[in-house]
Amino acid sequence: MSEKTKFRIVDGLLIAMMILPFVAGIVLKILFTPESEGISITGAIVFFEIKMPLQPLQITEAQVNSWLVMVFLVGLCLYLTHGIKVVPDSRRQHVAEWIVEKVEALVSDNMGDKYMAFAPFIAAVLGMSAFSSLSSLLGLFPPTSDLNVVFGWSILVFIIITHYKLKGGVWNYTKGYFEPIPVFAPMNVIGEIATPVSMAFRHFGNVLSGVVISTLIHAALGGLSNVLRVGIPAVFSLYFDIFSGLIQAYIFAMLTMLYISNGFPEEAYEKRMKKKAERERRRREAAALVENK
Amino acid sequence: MLLETQQLEIISVNIWSILISLANLVIIFLLLKKLLFKPVKKTLAARQAQVDKIYDDAAAAKQTAEADRAEYEQKLADVKAEAEEILTDARERADRMSEEIIGDAKDKAQAKLERAEEEIAQEKKKAMTELKDDVSALSVDIAEKLLGREIDEKDHAELIDKFISEVDDNGK
Repeated sequence: MSEKTKFRIVDGLLIAMMILPFVAGIVLKILFTPESEGISITGAIVFFEIKMPLQPLQITEAQVNSWLVMVFLVGLCLYLTHGIKVVPDSRRQHVAEWIVEKVEALVSDNMGDKYMAFAPFIAAVLGMSAFSSLSSLLGLFPPTSDLNVVFGWSILVFIIITHYKLKGGVWNYTKGYFEPIPVFAPMNVIGEIATPVSMAFRHFGNVLSGVVISTLIHAALGGLSNVLRVGIPAVFSLYFDIFSGLIQAYIFAMLTMLYISNGFPEEAYEKRMKKKAERERRRREAAALVENK
Repeated sequence: MLLETQQLEIISVNIWSILISLANLVIIFLLLKKLLFKPVKKTLAARQAQVDKIYDDAAAAKQTAEADRAEYEQKLADVKAEAEEILTDARERADRMSEEIIGDAKDKAQAKLERAEEEIAQEKKKAMTELKDDVSALSVDIAEKLLGREIDEKDHAELIDKFISEVDDNGK
């Protein structure tokens, strides 16, 4: 078998890896969607439950669809970087390079060059969010209209923010809650918690509202005449599914970058590092003295 | 409904779902890093290195070319100077030679002229002498005839010569 045929076969498999998840999602949707008359706006379908402490672990449509999106993203990455060369000869390589360069430019513009390691994370946030929201175009349940999914992401972002804040030292972090005066402490705590909650609800609410409005328009037009159902909902879907979904992905990524880079107390961190280096130096000197004796 | 299912409320919070979603994002982050960013950045770095190398090569080639050009220009200038020198030399030599030739020619011509003048003078002298002899002989003849007797040629030639030179002196 020649190299070219092998290349083609791998390409075909990767394209299948991108398309099949969504086909599977549609099949699942058809199999599991309850028949209903009129408008019904509900959350995700629960496929099955596993007994766990606190709450049952539910495998819902949102979870499954986000896994499908992940498989799609992995397939996309593999497809774009398949046969990557130093001298590019394919359009897909240009696309791959464009994505990497754009995300890195975004990170360096909003966070600075020392946060460059965040570029894949931002790309992951953008990709997951955008493609999750866009999956509603195929009639799938968009994972981003499930609060749990976005809440998971925003909690991860919150963990990263707190990790960066703690780099200035625990004392510095705790002190931050009692500023400008100690009475403000409860408000500061609320403000801290509000960050992930607001991020999650903003994203979730925007996508959900799109779904709700799309359903309402669909139903309302159908109530008037079935002919109106053709075409017109697509125009609204253009805004609510595509524009709104992409904008929310961008906002989520943007907020992630800003919160992380703003949360990092640079001065305190540098002071702490200097102190640490000083302590290390002294310890070494003491060790050297002991050794000499 | 094909299969029995239950549906969630629109807003429902499930801690396990949140954890799964959190883990999903971490996993996709690692996958993107490994599958997209790593190969692309590696390629970009390799390309940058290649481009840098090409630029360096070009710069080196340019430098060499500049050096070569300077060398050639130097050589050309040298050659030109040399040619100029040769030409000047040749011209000088030619001038000198022509002067020599002309001088020679002039000298020769002068010598010839002098010789010719000398010859003329000699011829004149000769003619004069001949004429004198003739005249003396003629006068002796005439005098013989007039006197009717032979004059001793030898005795009287001296006399006549004297006479002629007196005439000659007066005539001049």
